[in-house]
Amino acid sequence: MKGDPIPDQHHVARLCDNKHIDGVFIQATAFMLKSRDDSLSVNWLEFLNCSCRESEIDELRNTYSRKLKLGARAKIAVMTVGEVREKVLKESPDRRNLKALHDPEYGIVNDPSHSGIYNLKHDDELIAELILETVQETYPARK
Amino acid sequence: MLGVSTVSGDKFIDYHSPNRQLHSGVWNPRDIQNYFESYFPEHKYVTSVNTENSEIYTRSWLDSEEAQVQELIFWIRTSISIPYWEGLTNRLVTLFNDAKEEDSASPGISVGSLRNFYNFFQSHTDLKCPTISLTPDNNIYASWRVDQKKVFSVLFLPNGDTRFVIFKPNDLHPERQTRISGTTTTDMLKAEVAPHGVWDWISE
Repeated sequence: MKGDPIPDQHHVARLCDNKHIDGVFIQATAFMLKSRDDSLSVNWLEFLNCSCRESEIDELRNTYSRKLKLGARAKIAVMTVGEVREKVLKESPDRRNLKALHDPEYGIVNDPSHSGIYNLKHDDELIAELILETVQETYPARK
Repeated sequence: MLGVSTVSGDKFIDYHSPNRQLHSGVWNPRDIQNYFESYFPEHKYVTSVNTENSEIYTRSWLDSEEAQVQELIFWIRTSISIPYWEGLTNRLVTLFNDAKEEDSASPGISVGSLRNFYNFFQSHTDLKCPTISLTPDNNIYASWRVDQKKVFSVLFLPNGDTRFVIFKPNDLHPERQTRISGTTTTDMLKAEVAPHGVWDWISE
């Protein structure tokens, strides 16, 4: 349900487009806010209720391909919610307390697992670098 | 007419852009080579040289920010002699195309950020090659990572400022990390970060 906090032990995936990838490596820019956004878009993997990670990623690939124009080198980064929150809380200069909240989107393309990471600012390069360090797994965004 | 862009150098060159059409959309590194083969060998458009002035002025009559970005990438490709510079400018072309693919109405890379990025590298030709990417606002973000505990990243803002991030081992407790961030003008960046030892690990 919209606004539900995502449990710390659960995982979120972030779509990292071409311009945030150098070679095969995701850069911190993938975790910076767009000027019009108030949260970092992610997807709540456990909400998808799939049997394994590959199925979750496939589900997201389907959603992204219907919703967005995916770059050839785009990647999906997977992180544990609790690790992101703990790292940023402990290591950011202002002890930032990030929130990961469910924010499903329904429209032309339904994206029921869509969620957001809140309490980010638009000049948070240091926090973007911290989030980058919590990335556990990466997958190509295209099938 | 567009404004004058300024980059540091050892000559004053006032050149007029030729009346050619830079194409929009996907753009590849070969375009750069074609551009220079047809444009610079004869120095056809250099109208005055003043070696007493320490700045190079490039004047463009092109009418869009996207065209300015292409123009500037063309220009900077041959203006710095660093071993990896050609690869880095090809990377800029890739990023330009990536940003255009994402949003065809955008100028690709922010022209002010690109100019700022260029000025920095033009002033510091001893730097190792960084990874570069674009922020959501299409500003250039350069990063140097050395082993797992050292990171120096710079966001080049369009107004000549930079925001930087430093992660480095704590001098007294090497297992811990010191994290620093700040904002300064591009011409002060080295002076601001050098006391943190950054230059020792990002320069040759």
